[in-house]
Amino acid sequence: MSAHVVVTDLTKRHGAVQAVRGVSFVIARGETFGLLGPNGAGKTTTLECLVGLREPDEGRIEIAGVDVRAAPDAAKERLGAAFAGSALPDQITPREALRLFGAFYREREEPAVLLARFALTEKADVPFATLSTGQRQRLALALAFVNRPEFVVLDEPASGLDPQARHELHAYIAAMRREGRTVLLATHDLHEAEKLCDRVAIIARGKIVAAGTPQELAAGTTSFEDAFLRLVADEAEGTRT
Amino acid sequence: MVYGSVFPLIYLAVFWVLYRHEKIPLMHHAGEWLTVGVLGGASLGLPTTLVGERERGVWRRFRLTPVALWHVVASTIAARYVIILGAGALQLAVALAVGMPVPGHPLALWAALSVVTLAFIGLGLVIAALADTVPAVQGIGQCVFLPMLVVGGVAVPVAGLPEWAQQFSAFLPGRYAVEALQACVTGGGLGAARFPLAALAVIGLAAGAAGAKLFRWDASQRFLTLRGKVWLVPALAAWLAVGLWAGLRSRVAVVTPPAVVVAPMPLPEPAWMKLTDTDIDALDFHVPSDGGVVAPFAAADEPPDENTALLLVDVAAALPTWAPGRVDDDEQAVRNLLCVCAVPDVVQLSGERYVPLLVLDHLSQRYPKDQLVKLLAWVALHPDDGTVLLDLNELGIPGSVGDSNQVRERSYLYALKFIMRLTGRKPPARIK
Repeated sequence: MSAHVVVTDLTKRHGAVQAVRGVSFVIARGETFGLLGPNGAGKTTTLECLVGLREPDEGRIEIAGVDVRAAPDAAKERLGAAFAGSALPDQITPREALRLFGAFYREREEPAVLLARFALTEKADVPFATLSTGQRQRLALALAFVNRPEFVVLDEPASGLDPQARHELHAYIAAMRREGRTVLLATHDLHEAEKLCDRVAIIARGKIVAAGTPQELAAGTTSFEDAFLRLVADEAEGTRT
Repeated sequence: MVYGSVFPLIYLAVFWVLYRHEKIPLMHHAGEWLTVGVLGGASLGLPTTLVGERERGVWRRFRLTPVALWHVVASTIAARYVIILGAGALQLAVALAVGMPVPGHPLALWAALSVVTLAFIGLGLVIAALADTVPAVQGIGQCVFLPMLVVGGVAVPVAGLPEWAQQFSAFLPGRYAVEALQACVTGGGLGAARFPLAALAVIGLAAGAAGAKLFRWDASQRFLTLRGKVWLVPALAAWLAVGLWAGLRSRVAVVTPPAVVVAPMPLPEPAWMKLTDTDIDALDFHVPSDGGVVAPFAAADEPPDENTALLLVDVAAALPTWAPGRVDDDEQAVRNLLCVCAVPDVVQLSGERYVPLLVLDHLSQRYPKDQLVKLLAWVALHPDDGTVLLDLNELGIPGSVGDSNQVRERSYLYALKFIMRLTGRKPPARIK
């Protein structure tokens, strides 16, 4: 598969803290790529640099050959994103939000299609403030698809969801995978990463400590979870096995 | 909603109450209540909304799209402009409903209100850029809002401010907003508001540019770490420039408010004024004869001896300027003058019978007859009130009295004798 997203030596500091330290990875077209790490590992900062929410200190990011730092708007036309900590004005309805955000792109999906796809038709015309957490998360996903993106970035999409809502979300991500979309999924949930991702990069203390398929990462250990915990602990101690 | 509709109507009601005695309701303060409404919506309401949405992550969501910053800023300005003009229209509708006449230049008023609104929206964008949190908006907003309200010519007319505040207000956009709007309601329209409109345009453009340049998408971007803070300099410089420009153009126009003449509070009518003829007739006019030892009274044509004549000359000369006889309390003044009769009587001065003639003559020149009768009657009805004098050395009358009751008794008798002479009363017949 050809490279769709290329991240090279990404570095970002928050004051005296180096949140991202020389992160590099490649995501193939149509691949679901997981960025797995504990809280504070640098996952969100990496994704924020990727989508243009933050300006990296160093490094290069390419999405479908477009340099994100040189042409951020062109890059944004190609990607969709759903980030934790994003919200909408209280009184806007899902239908209005999809119409509004769709207007920002050259190519856009019909709101009715997205409302149906993410089971929001019944809530299409109610204010955002009245939506449940699961409904808000589905709306965030719908908004991520409003421009028919080639590349979708999801930052902890299951955060705060109950088991049923989490199951529904996983079904949506699995559907994206079947559709052949390129997906970058940041998560601290091992099972989510193992279940949904083709390949996973484990990030700890701002550094990629290992990358590969879940099976490759689990090789030589009892389980993927065991491999993850060992890798993270080694990074914390400053040694690699 | 609150800043856009509720507060402007509250301000309108406040001005209506404050100036309720004016013949034409609200008209002469339209510039003030319209400006207060715009200030609230633009300098408090707008940044509160912007920063609140930033804190919740709304702007972060917009930042994920390719929408240009100027689109976001322009749409924010446009939306807030519609809200504020709507609030202004609501205020005007209510003002007209309670009797304010139609403004002199309605279209000009819309234009001026637009300039005022856009200027203060620019200010609101700067406040949103400065504040990291919604509470910070309130703090910064009040620091701008309150000075303009109190000493900036908005809630308190410039003409009513002290000189230093009038000078200070020349640096604040609130004053120009009031002037521009009022000119379109009761003045000469836009032509009479050229300078204030120009001042608002300068301030608004500088603030708007700074606010747009310093616009923050994300709550994690703190003001202190923000790049481009230098854009605040032209925003502040605009206020300074306008104030200096106003001074150079003699536009500060320190206006002395018209002297407020406060009518003196009318003093309550003294009690003795309320005495009636019935009260006076009720007095007991059984008095000793004028030829007796007690309360003697010489006839008008009875000549004194030489020594008494000399004494009387001195007393007559001193009496008009004698201080106890000139106190402000008329009742006490009369009491004191009656003592001039009473003390010589008690000490049995040789010329005692002639002194009452001098005192009555002096009192008659000082008071109208009917007032004097009432004063004497009051003293007679209240013989124990006030104070009495026990010696009259200041008047050159020798001797002093040790018992004040004696002086009070003789003063009482002389008061009755004076009333009888002034009213022509004869002593009542004695019961045989």
